[in-house]
Amino acid sequence: MKVSLFITCISDIMFPNVGKNTVEILERLGCEVDFPTLQTCCGQPAYNSGYLEEAKGSMKQMIRAFKDAEYVVGPSGSCVGMIREYPHVFKGDSEWEKPAQELAAKTFELTQFIVDVLGVKDVGSTFKGKVTYHPSCHMTRILGVKDAPKILLQNVKGIEFVELPSGEDCCGFGGTFSVKKPEISAEMVKEKSRHVTETGAEYLVGGDMGCLMNIGGRMQREGKNVKVIHISEILNTHN
Amino acid sequence: MAVYNRDEFLNKLAAKLGRPRRTEGVVRPVWRVNPQYEVFKGMDQEELVDIFANQCEAIHTDFVRTDVAHLKNVLVDVIKSYGGESIILPKDPRNEIYGLPDCFNELQQDTNIHVWDYTIGKENEKIAERANIGITFSDITLAETATVTLFHNKHHGRSISLMPKNYIAIIPKSTLVPRMTQAAAIIHEKIEKGELVASCVSFISGPSNSADIEMNLIVGVHGPVKATYILVDE
Amino acid sequence: MSLKLEDIPFEEGVQKGIENDFMRQAVSGAQGRFRAGRLKQAQELGNWEDWRKLGEEIRTHTVNHIDFYLHQLSEQVEKRGGHVYFAETAEEANSYIKQVIQTKNAKKIVKSKSMVTEEIGLNDALAETGAEVVESDLGEWILQLEGDHPSHIVTPALHKNKEQIRETFAQKRGYTGSSEPEELAAFARKQLRSDFLQADVGITGCNFAIAESGTITLVTNEGNADMVWTVPDTLITVMGMERIVPTWEEMEVLVGLLTRSAVGQKLTSYITAYTGCREEDEIEGPNDYHLVIVDNGRSNALGTEFQAALHCIRCGSCINVCPVYRHIGGHAYNSVYPGPIGAVLTPVLDGYDDHKDLPYASSLCGACTEACPVRIPLHEMLVLHRQKIVENGDTPFAEKMMMKGVGMWGGSPFVYKMSTKLAHSALKPWTKDETIENGPGPLKAWTAVRNLAAPPKQSFRSWFENRKKDGEN
Repeated sequence: MKVSLFITCISDIMFPNVGKNTVEILERLGCEVDFPTLQTCCGQPAYNSGYLEEAKGSMKQMIRAFKDAEYVVGPSGSCVGMIREYPHVFKGDSEWEKPAQELAAKTFELTQFIVDVLGVKDVGSTFKGKVTYHPSCHMTRILGVKDAPKILLQNVKGIEFVELPSGEDCCGFGGTFSVKKPEISAEMVKEKSRHVTETGAEYLVGGDMGCLMNIGGRMQREGKNVKVIHISEILNTHN
Repeated sequence: MAVYNRDEFLNKLAAKLGRPRRTEGVVRPVWRVNPQYEVFKGMDQEELVDIFANQCEAIHTDFVRTDVAHLKNVLVDVIKSYGGESIILPKDPRNEIYGLPDCFNELQQDTNIHVWDYTIGKENEKIAERANIGITFSDITLAETATVTLFHNKHHGRSISLMPKNYIAIIPKSTLVPRMTQAAAIIHEKIEKGELVASCVSFISGPSNSADIEMNLIVGVHGPVKATYILVDE
Repeated sequence: MSLKLEDIPFEEGVQKGIENDFMRQAVSGAQGRFRAGRLKQAQELGNWEDWRKLGEEIRTHTVNHIDFYLHQLSEQVEKRGGHVYFAETAEEANSYIKQVIQTKNAKKIVKSKSMVTEEIGLNDALAETGAEVVESDLGEWILQLEGDHPSHIVTPALHKNKEQIRETFAQKRGYTGSSEPEELAAFARKQLRSDFLQADVGITGCNFAIAESGTITLVTNEGNADMVWTVPDTLITVMGMERIVPTWEEMEVLVGLLTRSAVGQKLTSYITAYTGCREEDEIEGPNDYHLVIVDNGRSNALGTEFQAALHCIRCGSCINVCPVYRHIGGHAYNSVYPGPIGAVLTPVLDGYDDHKDLPYASSLCGACTEACPVRIPLHEMLVLHRQKIVENGDTPFAEKMMMKGVGMWGGSPFVYKMSTKLAHSALKPWTKDETIENGPGPLKAWTAVRNLAAPPKQSFRSWFENRKKDGEN
């Protein structure tokens, strides 16, 4: 199966390991992975800030970049969620609505792709450690992916999985929200850090680097000894 | 009776909606999903009684089941448990059918019984306000929510079930329906046939309560503090 | 008539909220209970998504035909002996109601909880008549004694603790009892019972008006609305124009959604459906009835992308799941309507000038949209508001410039690729141990409370290119 990787700008620039792990997992599962280099950002920062025209520039570029892809897979519920919104954004646009629909229909978040498209529930990885999972808001509510990441995690050998209390609560990232309303965002991430600490987990895992960068940055600032990692790292570990 | 500013107001709304104003011809559609009809579908009266009885607990209401022959004794017991004193009830043909006058004979001589009498006007309400117990029959009873439905009229004042400290509802088993859906349908059909709906229809589920102080549940605020539902097998 | 509660900047209200430990604890506890209650009810029904779809369909149809249904409602109310006044503005509504009060020469008015009367500032307007106005909902009464505003649309006094309430009762009404909730409530019952019995006029809000019969449905647990509609001879109902349903059958569906979503109850203790004046020989209920139907900016939403905001049934479930509300409390929104629905609705009713922070008081987490029993896409509407504010040119200059840059960056693979190469070195001066603790410019707000992982030397794309080359070699 041919898969085009949608790396997401945040992982491209800030967290390249997420991309590496994603590529390796998909290849191990028998996919042929390519990386369309014309891709940029999904447009969400501008879109969620209300800058529709600026956002559309990015979105059109993404549509162009993935025009020939069979499947588009990205390691982020939020960014994939944004692409799934493209048809709505371009509704009534005679030139872009149809290609937007095509892209949305073939784009999947990593764990969603593995479970729902490849039909795989165990990626065969081994990971030793106590792990809790933050179900990020856009992954669960916008994209509707609730079970896939948990199914995959629970099938990892050696893992000790604990539920995160009030996991469904937002961590306070919200893209530009974190710098536009920093006081509110700060209270939200402090609360999330408390909940993570309560679990006693050594690792906090998630499927969205934006949220993880926020929670991880806060927990590091608080001197908490919890490793905050993307789910792909666990799914690509074989120790 | 007058209606003020209607045309101006509604014309503007229609204009905002981008179409001419409509005063007729709008038909309520058949809704695409109708889960309300599926709740407790096909259950018999006994199953509904069970649901009703369980729900009474959730709404802090005592549930007693009896039959017509024993209603008298049960009612006397409940009235005594509330301390008797004074009772108000509507003027309802069911009072006699279910033997209420007979029951009241069992009570102490000094128990005050008042049957709503519209000819004495506001005095009824004053009596209700002072009464210890209000008793009514339920017209339609909703199993899901343990709700009694009352259609008020000139013989059945609104304060009977509202102002006394204690409230007793007598519920003929035949009045039991699954949920509010059925009650609403009955009322809607009557309206469609041109009947006037009662000026006040109450759906009462247990005593009055509030959670306004630190989210603590307080039972008994403006209305009754205690309630008993007596289900009567017919 | 502004919906603003206080004349302070948004950030100040936020700060006050964040620093109010009692309030935050109370809100957090309440949210937990409300949420659990709602989920339990949804689970018991089993097919909650079907119920939500039905709720949405009913609301969509009704608001799409709002002129028709309001016409029908007014005909029916008139038929049952009532007057109907259509008020385009808060001022019109208030002056009509004042006139009724003055004609009656009323001395005492009892009210049941109504958000729309908060919205139009009715109590202030009534003060000019010289009549005493008594709020009869326990929470509202507490706030009225104190001169405070509701902080939640369902439990208005959520931000008060029982000690504060005891103190208020003692100061304003000579209460000498304890701070036990039961004792406080028993005291309120006694005080309010005497108010009810003396009232000349009652004023209620409206949960659902039923067009087919001219009926007003009121939903309470306390039974206070029933007292208001039973005792006084004159009764006034104030309703937001969109609080209407076609028939009893839709009322029933929406009431069930409302009580489950609002407080996790299958139904509240009192659901009462009142129609017009009392019948001949009936002793109770009004013989003079007035229904006031208020627009006050609602029609701004009709025919626009904000129309679904009028579908709201005021259950407050969006408020009960909102993490922003949990941390800042209701008053920080500085509007009669707080929380996600407040952030959506307030600018629709009252414009952006006084409320342009509200659409940004959300991380767009979507918890509100997921909770809404009539499926209003609340978080999407917040984005729409942001779009309007951008269209109006009302965002800060620096943000405009930055977003122009973001647009160029995302729209051009070349510029984008450059950024992946430059990010590491650009932030190098602030980087220590691959971490930034005190970032420059827009990163400052970020690093005020959290670290930022520094971009590594090699971007993903450069790794992938090299890997491909290696593979080819």
